[in-house]
Amino acid sequence: MKSVPKLIRRFVGLLLLSFVLLVVVNIVIVAIIASGQMENARPWSTANKVAASLSQTENGYILSDEAAAKLNAAGAWAILIDNDTKTVVWHSDNLPDSVPMNYTLTDISDLTRGYIDGYPTFTSGTETGLVVLGYPKTSFWKHMWPSWDYQLIAHAPQIALIVLIVNVFVILLIYVIASTKVLRSVKPITNGIQALPSGDPVYIKETGLLSEVAYHINSTSEVLQEQKRQLQKRDVARANWIAGVSHDIRTPLSMVMGYAAQLKDAPGLTEGERHKAKIILRQSERIRNLISDLNLASKLEYNMQPISCKEENAVALVRQVAVDFINADPNIKYPIKWMSDERLTVCRVVADCVLLKRAVFNLIQNSIAHNENGCTIYVSVAEKTEGCVICVEDDGIGATDEQIEKLNNTPHYMVCDENTTEQRHGLGLLIVKQIVSSHHGKVTIDHSRYGGFSVKIILPVLRQKD
Amino acid sequence: MDFAYLKSKRILLVDDEQELLDLVVSVLHSDGYKNIATAKNVREALLLAKEVQPKLAILDVMLPDGNGFELMERLKQSKDYPVLFLTARGEEEDKFCGFGLGADDYVVKPFLPKELLLRVTAILRRTYKEEKSLARLKNSVIDFSRAEVIKDGEHIPLTAKEHDLLSVLYRNAGRIVTIDALCEAAWGDNPFGYENSLMAHIRRIREKIEANPSQPISLVTVKGLGYKLLVEDK
Repeated sequence: MKSVPKLIRRFVGLLLLSFVLLVVVNIVIVAIIASGQMENARPWSTANKVAASLSQTENGYILSDEAAAKLNAAGAWAILIDNDTKTVVWHSDNLPDSVPMNYTLTDISDLTRGYIDGYPTFTSGTETGLVVLGYPKTSFWKHMWPSWDYQLIAHAPQIALIVLIVNVFVILLIYVIASTKVLRSVKPITNGIQALPSGDPVYIKETGLLSEVAYHINSTSEVLQEQKRQLQKRDVARANWIAGVSHDIRTPLSMVMGYAAQLKDAPGLTEGERHKAKIILRQSERIRNLISDLNLASKLEYNMQPISCKEENAVALVRQVAVDFINADPNIKYPIKWMSDERLTVCRVVADCVLLKRAVFNLIQNSIAHNENGCTIYVSVAEKTEGCVICVEDDGIGATDEQIEKLNNTPHYMVCDENTTEQRHGLGLLIVKQIVSSHHGKVTIDHSRYGGFSVKIILPVLRQKD
Repeated sequence: MDFAYLKSKRILLVDDEQELLDLVVSVLHSDGYKNIATAKNVREALLLAKEVQPKLAILDVMLPDGNGFELMERLKQSKDYPVLFLTARGEEEDKFCGFGLGADDYVVKPFLPKELLLRVTAILRRTYKEEKSLARLKNSVIDFSRAEVIKDGEHIPLTAKEHDLLSVLYRNAGRIVTIDALCEAAWGDNPFGYENSLMAHIRRIREKIEANPSQPISLVTVKGLGYKLLVEDK
């Protein structure tokens, strides 16, 4: 199915778009969070303010009320360590007991970077000492070793870009591999779905991601196959039934025809009786033709008649059928005239010799059957631009425009699913149409230029190789 | 032509329906065939064949204790003689099967008595042709065994092609043989483009058999279709 790679391409496109959006969204989020983190700088400025607000008096150091209020609001405490003695010379009222009152240089170095007894500390220098602010233990997290490789910071944008690209590439790779796997498991499914309408049996291995879909397709195929088998079985049964019935009628009809043929020439009978025998014989022959036509028509209809086509000379084939009729009609009640151009000796067509002969036979038989008082039948073969044209015409009673229109356009009751009670025309013409259709040709029915009925069979010609 | 010698040939007729046997016997009798033995099944047919030594067998395909194809093979094991199938099985494959096994003809029921008689006579004539060699025409006689024409007491030899063409025409005496069938008989399976050669051969045959070759009365042209050989005793 062509749409599957298209689908995959579309998903990859969507994925790339998602990456771009993700980056944009991340930048926005980082900006928002960073702006929210501006608060983190406040303890350092508070420490500066406290240092500035601390004034020395005769009674010691005094903190301004404003700075004291700020400290209280943040829940922080403050001490001032003297430069010379390294002892606490002032502290706020809320100083915890665990905070030491004496410091070494090491202590001061540690508290500048980090904590005093778990309290995050921030410092600011004054003329006489160092102001240290201590915040509640869970208010800040401090980075103790804030130093980076210089190159890392210098190339930070490039590194970030490379990391991003590698990430995108890895994700794409994973996605394409995963998609290919899915595609591989989808391919038999799509092939199976495509094969279903053709009517061929479909089986897909029921494994992998789409095993359930495969199972349902297999089930559908089985149902379709079963339906096809049932239809074929019914068609075969119908054709066999017709074949069986026509077989069983043949032997009794032999006796009717045999004895009627003897009676029609029996010298002991009166002229009237012989005439009746003649009628029995003629009607029996009609039944015989009908049985044979019915059998062939049903087989052609249900595709049970094997067709073996090979290169044939249509001129020879049609000529033989015409001659067979002439040889079988010694009284020349139905003279057959060969109207082909004598220069045309070969007209090559690809045909099943037996079936094509049968089609021409039926056309001549048709003219005979519809003209009880006799007629002349004109048979010709011509090679024209539209193909090999086999024409059987007569100068008999013919048909009305309406009848010809119906014959050309209305399906026979055997192949029509409605109005089966009205028999439209004999099986003979149906067989001609079926045979010609199986040879990729066409049949046209018209008035004859000789005044009767005309049927043309047009078949594709096998042109001579240059 | 005199076919009296053919009428004495013994014919074995096998069909499981008594009424059909009666009909065929009556048809053959009416045409002069007198030696007819009938059987209703394979077993009877085999016994009868040993006893009467038939010259032609007319067999049904579907028999109560076997089929006609098998029967033909068993009959031909002891002696080879022509077999004609007369059966209700009219499918092409049945016909091909019959001919494939060596049948000489295949007639599908229902049949016209005249058709059956013509086919029986044709088979017998083909098979027992040593007894026929002369074809009498209006102005000459063809001696097929010597490949010559006797006209006004003169013996005129026939070429191989002329002999082939006359044989086909004689087998179908009184009937039209198409140009294509004649070309096929003389030049084989791919007889395209031999129409002019055929005309030349026909002209030479006429010179040999006709009194006036430009106005033929024995080998006549049927325009566009073919030729017809008219014999005196047909």
